[in-house]
Amino acid sequence: MEAMHMVALEIRLLAEKADRELVMSGKNPDKLQAAGSFLMKVFGALAVKGPKRVGALYVTCQLFKIYFRLGTVNLCRSVIRSIETARNFDFEDFPVKDKVTYMYYTGRLEVFNENFLVADQKLTYALMHCNPQSESNLRKILKFLIPVKLSIGVLPRRTLLEKYNLLEYADIVTSLRRGDLRLLKQALDRHEDQLLKCGVYLVLEKLELQVYRRLVKKIHIIQREKEPSKAHQIKLEVLVKTLQWLGITMDVDEVECIMACLIYKNLIKGYFAHKSKVLVLSKQDPFPKLNGKPV
Amino acid sequence: MRTSRSLAVKKFCRTISSTGIQASDIRPLPVLRETMDYLWHLLNSSEYPFEIVHDFIFDRTRSVRQDLSIQNLVNDQAIGIYEDVIKFHILSHQRLARSCQDSDASSLCYLNTEQMMKCLLSLFDMYHTIHKINSQSNKEAEYYSFFVLLHMGCKIPKMANSLSFWYSQLPASIVRSKEMIFARTILRCYHLGNFKRFFCMIADEATELQLCLVEPFLNEVRARALMYLNHSGYKLQHHPLTHLSDILMIEELELEDLCRICGLEISRSGDTKAFAPKQTTFSLPTPLSKSSGIYISREIKR
Repeated sequence: MEAMHMVALEIRLLAEKADRELVMSGKNPDKLQAAGSFLMKVFGALAVKGPKRVGALYVTCQLFKIYFRLGTVNLCRSVIRSIETARNFDFEDFPVKDKVTYMYYTGRLEVFNENFLVADQKLTYALMHCNPQSESNLRKILKFLIPVKLSIGVLPRRTLLEKYNLLEYADIVTSLRRGDLRLLKQALDRHEDQLLKCGVYLVLEKLELQVYRRLVKKIHIIQREKEPSKAHQIKLEVLVKTLQWLGITMDVDEVECIMACLIYKNLIKGYFAHKSKVLVLSKQDPFPKLNGKPV
Repeated sequence: MRTSRSLAVKKFCRTISSTGIQASDIRPLPVLRETMDYLWHLLNSSEYPFEIVHDFIFDRTRSVRQDLSIQNLVNDQAIGIYEDVIKFHILSHQRLARSCQDSDASSLCYLNTEQMMKCLLSLFDMYHTIHKINSQSNKEAEYYSFFVLLHMGCKIPKMANSLSFWYSQLPASIVRSKEMIFARTILRCYHLGNFKRFFCMIADEATELQLCLVEPFLNEVRARALMYLNHSGYKLQHHPLTHLSDILMIEELELEDLCRICGLEISRSGDTKAFAPKQTTFSLPTPLSKSSGIYISREIKR
């Protein structure tokens, strides 16, 4: 098995090197793709009954790395299908290292497809079973797990972001805590390229709804302190002024649209009165917790 | 004689075996360009019903693309031809949707969108190829934005990969171009339920082709807006249709029709028509009737 591992790894690394050289001399880099085809055949040879099959996951992970590098992630599907449905494999039999890598990559695919609950399961598994000494691997997992967690309403502590050098998420987390829409937009702008490359930009962009919710909640809290009996009624004008103070120009019609959406998606309990231009919060539990369900 | 050498255009042939073809069967680039120009002229001037013209051009442009791909032609002119083919599909997309009344026509729409998608993906490959030789089309950003805008339809052909993944593979200069930012922003407004900004942006910033592309989706968007407003509004404070027709940029009479299709009853008090929220009879219709674009009443300043 070890010999096979060595061969699989070296094939990928050599092919990557070869492609780099081909590009530099102006030729078409097709070695990595060829390595992928070769490893698929290796996978086929391992996917049989018998002791050989425990090596299949390692080869799968090499294939994942190749496909992600080449941008041909749709090819992952057939391999995943073989692993997850074939009767030859019992997932528990595979070595832990391979399982962690496998869950990391399949988790990332779920993030691309916005299946946040499944992505959460897979990436969390990878996090829990990852070697605690391997900080760079933990960082890689967290890079994708954090946006997923944010979308189901779970916020990381700043100390975590600092420990693993993931401070690009710091402002986004702060904006969620504060309901600071301007900060969210600035953070997304500043790190746009990086976040787009990782495929998490759209996930984070959707957090906007949660930030609005937090903003409304803060206004509610302030009103409750000033005049408890009327606290559950929020004039849409107040929202417009608050947003203006944050440097965001929105008219009352826009605010009404967004409130209608927040209520529909059960982020806020209540209703809006169109003519009076008032948002009326439910007196009981107007801001239901997300409870681990994505918005 | 019913046709002539100067009028006849080569048909699309589904199965081509490489043994049967001769070099003289494949049209070279200048001929393909002339063919495109001819087809384009037909599109704008034919007296036949649109479905027939569409059908003809659909087939013949497919044949043009086939000849291009057999010859593996990837250069400025080939790209120009592909861009024109996509333009045809987009204009058809709009016109077919406007006349779509029955299931036959709606399957025409679907097939058109499917072909448009294939064409776009081939075009993107071509853009990618010419980038390597430091060339680019000046229409790139707009054509990339079409791919994003197609994600607004719910009946579009299934796309293999997610939008997130697609963005991750694009150069930053494309993703941050004006046309792409427009497409990304209105898609975001759509998901956020910010219909006011959605329609305002389309009215202010969409290019002609972008507008044609999104037009068939607009009534679906409006129906969703009605759904949110109906769900979240206060029962006793009716939503006047005049106001709604401004926000959703639709003629009031058309809005009334739309409300009825969605199962919403319109109430009347004097001159004003409105709908009362919290009606349980509401349902999102699928498939939805034709849309007819952005309508801005005279009172709104543009």
